[in-house]
Amino acid sequence: MTLPILPTTMVGSYSMPSWLERLKTDYFARRISRHDLDEIHDCAVRSAIKDQEIAGLDIVTDGELRRDNMIDYFVERLPGIHIDRSSKKFYYDFYDSEVLGKIPMAALGLVEDFKFLLANTERETKFCITGPHSLCKRVRNKYYASDEELATDIARVMNMELKELVKAGAKLIQIDEPYYSGFPEDLSWGVKVLNRLIEGVNAKIAVHICYGNRYGKPSWEGSYRYLFPRILEAKIQQLSLEFARRGGEDLDLFREFSPPFELGAGVIDVKDQAVESPDIVAERIRKVAKFVPVEKISVLPDCGLFHLPRDIAFAKLRAMVDGTKMVRKELGR
Amino acid sequence: MILHLNHTRRDSAAASASEVVATFLTLLEERHLTAEQFARLEIYLDWLQYKQNFREPITVMQRAESGAGPRSSMEVRIDSRQISPGSLRELVQKAIGPPPFDGGRGSRIYLEDFRSLRSSIVWDFNHLYWQRLKDWEQATGKSYEKSLPGGVSDGHHPQAIADSAQEFWNLLKQLESRNQLPAEIFLLEIGVGLATRAGMWLDCFGALDQKNGTQYYPRLRFLLGDYSLSTLDRSRPAVKKHIDLCSFIGLDALDPTKALSFLRHKVLHVHSSNMYDNLPDEEVVWRDNRLYWVQVRAYLRPEDAARIGKDCGVAFTDVVRTIKRLLEVGADSLPEHDKGMTFWREIWNAIRFEERLVDALDLPDAELPAGLSYTQMEDFLRDAPGELRFHLSSGALESFRNTLPLLHPRGYLQVQDIFVTDLSDYCMGFYGPGKLDGSIVNWVNGALLREVAHRAGYDLHFAPFQYRAGSKTSILYTTQRE
Repeated sequence: MTLPILPTTMVGSYSMPSWLERLKTDYFARRISRHDLDEIHDCAVRSAIKDQEIAGLDIVTDGELRRDNMIDYFVERLPGIHIDRSSKKFYYDFYDSEVLGKIPMAALGLVEDFKFLLANTERETKFCITGPHSLCKRVRNKYYASDEELATDIARVMNMELKELVKAGAKLIQIDEPYYSGFPEDLSWGVKVLNRLIEGVNAKIAVHICYGNRYGKPSWEGSYRYLFPRILEAKIQQLSLEFARRGGEDLDLFREFSPPFELGAGVIDVKDQAVESPDIVAERIRKVAKFVPVEKISVLPDCGLFHLPRDIAFAKLRAMVDGTKMVRKELGR
Repeated sequence: MILHLNHTRRDSAAASASEVVATFLTLLEERHLTAEQFARLEIYLDWLQYKQNFREPITVMQRAESGAGPRSSMEVRIDSRQISPGSLRELVQKAIGPPPFDGGRGSRIYLEDFRSLRSSIVWDFNHLYWQRLKDWEQATGKSYEKSLPGGVSDGHHPQAIADSAQEFWNLLKQLESRNQLPAEIFLLEIGVGLATRAGMWLDCFGALDQKNGTQYYPRLRFLLGDYSLSTLDRSRPAVKKHIDLCSFIGLDALDPTKALSFLRHKVLHVHSSNMYDNLPDEEVVWRDNRLYWVQVRAYLRPEDAARIGKDCGVAFTDVVRTIKRLLEVGADSLPEHDKGMTFWREIWNAIRFEERLVDALDLPDAELPAGLSYTQMEDFLRDAPGELRFHLSSGALESFRNTLPLLHPRGYLQVQDIFVTDLSDYCMGFYGPGKLDGSIVNWVNGALLREVAHRAGYDLHFAPFQYRAGSKTSILYTTQRE
């Protein structure tokens, strides 16, 4: 399938309905069975896919509605990591987890999620995972000599999973690494770990780096300048950054460093419930296009829509699509 | 009969538990109560902290018109502090008996229909007080602060302010070491009063900055926010030395983000003192795993209305109309300002509440504060005592929720106020509403704030105010949870 210019997609997560949060809590309280929860997840994911299709996105994700949060879904699957299941009160919270020994190779079971996505849409797809740097920052390291060593080992295990995803048909895989922004001093080894993660993975690789989106609020503030020039060493095809909430001040970095990869430009503020108009979206895209050739721009929200109510999340996606269409029309493409 | 002892004070018991039991048994024996009534009796023995409040010595909870109150009990609340020795029996007999008059001058004079406390006319009096504080202070001959317990605001304690400035300086130092210090450092004080604290804080911070040579002080952007523009004007002299760093912003304490949306995620420190306890509030009852709204109806005793009217030259039949005018124009509602002030103060002292419980299911429009659904509330109350009357602190919760979006990821919210930090404390004390001078005071439900904060991704904890012995103030800290 050929994508239009300025392809539109989500960063990953779609709105988590409060009823789903409650049902998941019911599952943890043993009030509903695993089988029922799986069915509920299937329904919720199908609905998220459908919403993206109706909104008009060119590339869809599974909405990440099976995941508690961006960390635990992966940490739970990594063997050798001990999780204190009593450590979280609310579904969204992070578990306390620690690594006590070397992480062995293991299948993480993400391929099933991807196959479900593939089976439920005819659109282009994207599959998103949390990167090793972000995961290692949430796990208490009691075995490895450094965070770098831990992250490298996580990358080794996840690399196998990424290759399995490609075998299953994944063409676009996004790695989420928001913790770079919280720990810019790690970037020198973070990029090496990233390259280890995607080594031999025959798919288009995007990396999403934002300033955090826990409970719909940023975890850090600063400038993307810290990424450059180190990020240029990453063997990726797309870098996805947030510009709607933070403004476009950092866009000149793309002129200054002319990175070889595409830009996934965040044009929807996911931390504000006010829905942007298509005009605003179009204006934001035009601004990005002053710094990056339009052929190298994808259009996205700033981050996942997890914490937005469904009606608002949907309206924002629709505005994003409509705003993109306005710019395409101006470009005559 | 069930007797609930809602306090643990030993020095209070003009009406002791044994006296209450003996009194009701006597009323039963003398057939003032039927056996059926006696079996359904639930008596709450309270000790009200605020001498000035809205309660009669004995209050019988009214039945909702729909009949949809809690289980068919007869609920009697006794304020043991107001009961003089030997008067309990007479007061109880009067309270549980039929009203002596039905209509006419002997009936209570109602100022409103039953409604949530939050919508009661008493908040109009509260508003009037803050709008015309000068009038009140002149009439009473003492400043607002002198009316506070101890006659001084904990918000102005020099050591507390010095520690707060030091704490903030430490944060800036930390941010700087990680290269994350913003070019402009935003701080917000909500409810500035005369800006005494703001002035003292800036003095402390400036000195600290100079001593350490850190150059943070010139980068400060200190925002003083208050809903009253005249208050903001009055606050300027206190920060005169620092005026170049200060901005004076009219804002709604219930929604500071509305005026300051351009500062979302940018403010490093938000502070308020003694504000939450004066924001609109309402009470609910958790009983039999159901939630009931406490509705109130403000009234005057006819004898009070007659006395006040006579003292102020207002005909008995004009009292209610004059109250309405008072709330519109203040003490000048009467031809003589002094009389107007007397009228205001006396009416305020005389206002009492009738109460009734209404099942939340019968009030589809009664909403829990933003950030809380009924199902979340049920979860929250799952481990609470089976019988609990508590404050929703809806105004405080609203303000809190609407302040959080302003916080920088490393910023914090600090609130000095009076908090109930554990739900079970509601079984052992009275936390408002009380009258503090011409204003209303309610302790803030800190346990509920903690729940809402947690759900919004923030950690919240309370520290006792260590700077004044016997202070009931706590300091709430809110920081972002990782």
